[in-house]
Amino acid sequence: MATSEERELLPTANAAQTWAAVRELAHPHRLTALGGFAVLVAATAIGLLTAPVLGHIIDLVSRSSPAAAITEPVTWLAAIAVGHGVATAIGVSLIAKLGEGMLATLRERFVDRALRLPLDQLERAGSGDLTSRVTGDVSVITNAVRDALPALARSVLTIGLTLVGLAVLDWRFLLVALLAAPIQIHTLRWYAGRAVPLYAAQRVAVGAQQQQLLGTVGGASTVRAFGLGDEHVGLVATRSSAAVDLVLRGARLVTRFYARLNLAEFVGLSAVLVTGFLLVRSGGVSIGTAGAAALYFHSLFTPINIALGLVDDAQAAGAGLARLVGVVGAAAEPAPALASGAAAAVGVRGVGYSYRSGHPVLREVDLDLAAKERVALVGASGAGKTTLAKLIAGIHPPDSGSITVDGPARSVALVTQEVHVFAGPLAEDLRLARPEASDGELAEALDRVGALGWARALPDGLATVVGDGGHRLTAAQAQQLALARLVLADPPVVVLDEATAEAGSAGARALEASAAAAIEGRTALVVAHRLTQAASADHVVLLDQGRVAETGTHDELVRAGGRYATLWAAWSGHRAP
Amino acid sequence: MPINGRDVLRRAVTGQWKQSAAGALLAAGHQTGEALVPVMVGVVIDEAISPGDGGALLLWIAALAVVFAGLSSSYRFSFRAAERASEQAAHRLRIELTERVLEPRGGAETGRLPGELVAVATSDAKRVGAVNVAMAAAVAALAGLLAGGIALLRVSLPLGLLVLLGIPPLLMLAHLLGKPLERRSGAEQERAARASGVAADLIAGLRVLKGIGAENAAVARYRRTSRDALAATLRAARAQAWHDGGMLVLTGLFIAVVALVGGRLAAQGDITVGQLVAAVGLAQFLLSPLSILAWANGEFAQGRASAARIASVLSSPPAVTGGQATPSRPVRGAIALREVSYGALRAVSFEVAPGELLGVVTRDAAVAHALLRVLGRTADPDAGVVELDGAPLTGLDPAELRRAIVVAEHDADLFEGTLLDNITAAIPVTGTPATGTPSASAPPETPAPETAMVAAGADEVAGALPYGLLTPLTERGLSLSGGQRQRVALARALAADPPVLVLHDPTTAVDAATEARIADGVRAARQGRTTIMVVTSPALLAAADRVVFVDGGGPPACGTHAELVEGHETYRATVLT
Repeated sequence: MATSEERELLPTANAAQTWAAVRELAHPHRLTALGGFAVLVAATAIGLLTAPVLGHIIDLVSRSSPAAAITEPVTWLAAIAVGHGVATAIGVSLIAKLGEGMLATLRERFVDRALRLPLDQLERAGSGDLTSRVTGDVSVITNAVRDALPALARSVLTIGLTLVGLAVLDWRFLLVALLAAPIQIHTLRWYAGRAVPLYAAQRVAVGAQQQQLLGTVGGASTVRAFGLGDEHVGLVATRSSAAVDLVLRGARLVTRFYARLNLAEFVGLSAVLVTGFLLVRSGGVSIGTAGAAALYFHSLFTPINIALGLVDDAQAAGAGLARLVGVVGAAAEPAPALASGAAAAVGVRGVGYSYRSGHPVLREVDLDLAAKERVALVGASGAGKTTLAKLIAGIHPPDSGSITVDGPARSVALVTQEVHVFAGPLAEDLRLARPEASDGELAEALDRVGALGWARALPDGLATVVGDGGHRLTAAQAQQLALARLVLADPPVVVLDEATAEAGSAGARALEASAAAAIEGRTALVVAHRLTQAASADHVVLLDQGRVAETGTHDELVRAGGRYATLWAAWSGHRAP
Repeated sequence: MPINGRDVLRRAVTGQWKQSAAGALLAAGHQTGEALVPVMVGVVIDEAISPGDGGALLLWIAALAVVFAGLSSSYRFSFRAAERASEQAAHRLRIELTERVLEPRGGAETGRLPGELVAVATSDAKRVGAVNVAMAAAVAALAGLLAGGIALLRVSLPLGLLVLLGIPPLLMLAHLLGKPLERRSGAEQERAARASGVAADLIAGLRVLKGIGAENAAVARYRRTSRDALAATLRAARAQAWHDGGMLVLTGLFIAVVALVGGRLAAQGDITVGQLVAAVGLAQFLLSPLSILAWANGEFAQGRASAARIASVLSSPPAVTGGQATPSRPVRGAIALREVSYGALRAVSFEVAPGELLGVVTRDAAVAHALLRVLGRTADPDAGVVELDGAPLTGLDPAELRRAIVVAEHDADLFEGTLLDNITAAIPVTGTPATGTPSASAPPETPAPETAMVAAGADEVAGALPYGLLTPLTERGLSLSGGQRQRVALARALAADPPVLVLHDPTTAVDAATEARIADGVRAARQGRTTIMVVTSPALLAAADRVVFVDGGGPPACGTHAELVEGHETYRATVLT
């Protein structure tokens, strides 16, 4: 239960590392990149020929040329239109191929590294950090690559080449057009300084609203049972108002941003018109050229607005990228596949462990599990059961003492009360544990944990899409699924940490039977809160305040009349026989 | 009164009519201003640049400044007004939807997942609100079309007609060009979106994956999904690029035609050079109001679909109907079930005396579930009657009834807020407590919550958290372990201190030692008040005054826990194995 103060967030890359990662991702696509940009530059250049050709038509008209003379430049216009369209399509396709290819590689690497991060590092960071990176940051970058980046590239190219075009008409047009630039640069700075914190606050407020609605609507039956309706409507209203206020503040900011850009447009356009006037009067350029310059500048309005409007998208994408690259660059432990096969013995010798120094959770724990032995670990909450389970499963290394497994490198599997049904067909979920498993093996595993009945009864049997967005399994079914995965993974040693806890009392008994079947033939440590699980174990270990307080068979401990006997009496009801 | 989508949509606009109308009016001003800019450029060329008239130049630049000031400020205020209307309409709908979901008679969740309802309250409410923005934009686009059209017709009747009549078929062509793309890209984008969904899902199940050593299998699966998504995205992006390219060709050709006709007219002296420039500029400009209209049309269509979804939630039939009466005060707490049939309950009868601590055991979880529903009146029995102090529940107002009977379900939710907030949430702060001892209405500071906390073992939960009772619970209490969550929920139910409390499996994830303490705590805390525990835990049942065993049809077996364990074989099997 780490609070945010205690959390060590996952690493974030610095600017140099991020650029290095981008260059590295782009490297295999460098021909596409070169080709794409070259074609896009050509496309933009072709498109910009429209204005001078129109200028030429204006000149023809003002020189009182015959009407037939118009036809030739117009065919040019048509050719430009076709060339512009085709080249743009090719250029944009190539850029999409580049961006999407890089994005796909990045997200694959991210998932690869994320799944291999050491669990204790993840626990220190909190699961929210990784989840927000894989949902929030990936989608921000995806949107940037898909929409913002191509639009930005095209706008910037258009702006750049239009300015070149202005210079070709007459260098003085370019000079005065740049009068708008200081206003735009200032506006952009002004905006970015306000927009970044405002949008961050907005995302937080919208997230809080979403969270409140999920809590209130998801917990509607609890709200009704306790008569908390008015209070919850009030909470939703408060969160919603806060979000609305921030959205409206954002709207005000955006409108002020564009108002300032309007000023830049006016200044630039007037300057170009005045320059045209002066140059035409001095005979420096024709009326057609002055008209073309004005049209050029007018056609800059849209791309400039697009480009400046996308700057904060680009910033957000950059920040997200740094967070993704941070994880991709992080050291990950190599993940050998879980060993499968014959049961192995486990020895725990003098193990001590503390999450915070000075607060030992386990002290001098000794424990032996012979091959195929089933040991139940019992004790009050906070006695250290789960910590010991994690240590044996290899999630944390012990601070002192040693844990030895008499088998191959990674032979301990851990199933906890945390269940997750992977979105997709049920069979695919099971195959995560053994990718090459045949349909028969899947059915066998389900059958062993007593889940084949309901699995076959699902709308599409084992092909039914389950999990998020699919068919919803009950908590007990989800836990049986976890046990079926365990059967398929077939590990030598199993640690079950209250793997039957979440399922109401009626379901718990069925789950216990499933769990017993799943660990049959393996060495197993079962953290039990229902003492029936302890009663049927080969051996019971009672932990108290981080130490082994009692150990023996169920009958021995009950006869001994110690703490376990008291617990058993309490559990089975004082007056029970 | 059933509500349909049209009502929802109408109210969203009429409810905000001032802002909405102001937005539309000002937006019309903005579009007109935008239409005037190319016209003004043409005028400057004709009046100032061609004749070389410096005075006219100053005059018309000043006029251009007025146009810019007007278009800029009307954009600014129109966008704000429309945005305000949109956000406020969405906010109101959100509140209305929350009220409907939480309405004591229930029924809104029937057949809908919480996520769906949240999506209705967020995305759909937003879409309906956004109709205000779309409407302002549509009015503005019509105004822009009108202004541009008049300006063009004034330049030249044939040229104006060419542009005005040419644009609709052009857009129709564009629409046709886009149609198949839209269909295909929808499906392909969905496949692309799945890649990020799968990644988030794998990360969410990370611990489960690590527990069974399935990292490599998961990475391999993700890579396949990602490559699949990449191929789909690239197909969609290519189609999009060619569509956009096609649009560029179409508009380019259109401009060429306008230039051809306009150029010939100018060459014949029918129009001036400046008018030619203005006509070309207007032809380009007019494409944008028309595409705004097309966009607004799409927004309206989506708004209609969203409004229909909202209406269907708002008008969903209540789960229980009838009953206006208030339970008579003071509530004694006598409960009677007479021949009650509902779901898995078959003609079940039993009585609970005021102040009794009764255990109810069922073999089938569905029976327990049905029992809880009729006791809390979230459903009415199909046959038979449930009585509180001799009054049938069907005659009582559900909200009033739940002040007298609180059903604390096994999977009750916790909410955002501190641990203490959650525990004290249901303590009646004002008014007479339903028990009928007037002045005893306890403010949350009195010892009541402490007693409840100790009884439920929640004091230990607080002790284990970094900030004790003031620790904030996140994600609906998911930051706590299952056992901790159950104890907090139980403390909340005990602190609410209703005349009748129904507890469902409150300790399934709690260790045996704590459970025994909780059994004693519940007994002490509920002294003198009716309590029904629907459980199979021997520790809790041993603490009950009497136990009723409901197993299928027939009169339920009755006695103390010890008597039933002794004399009832099925009971013993249900409870003790």
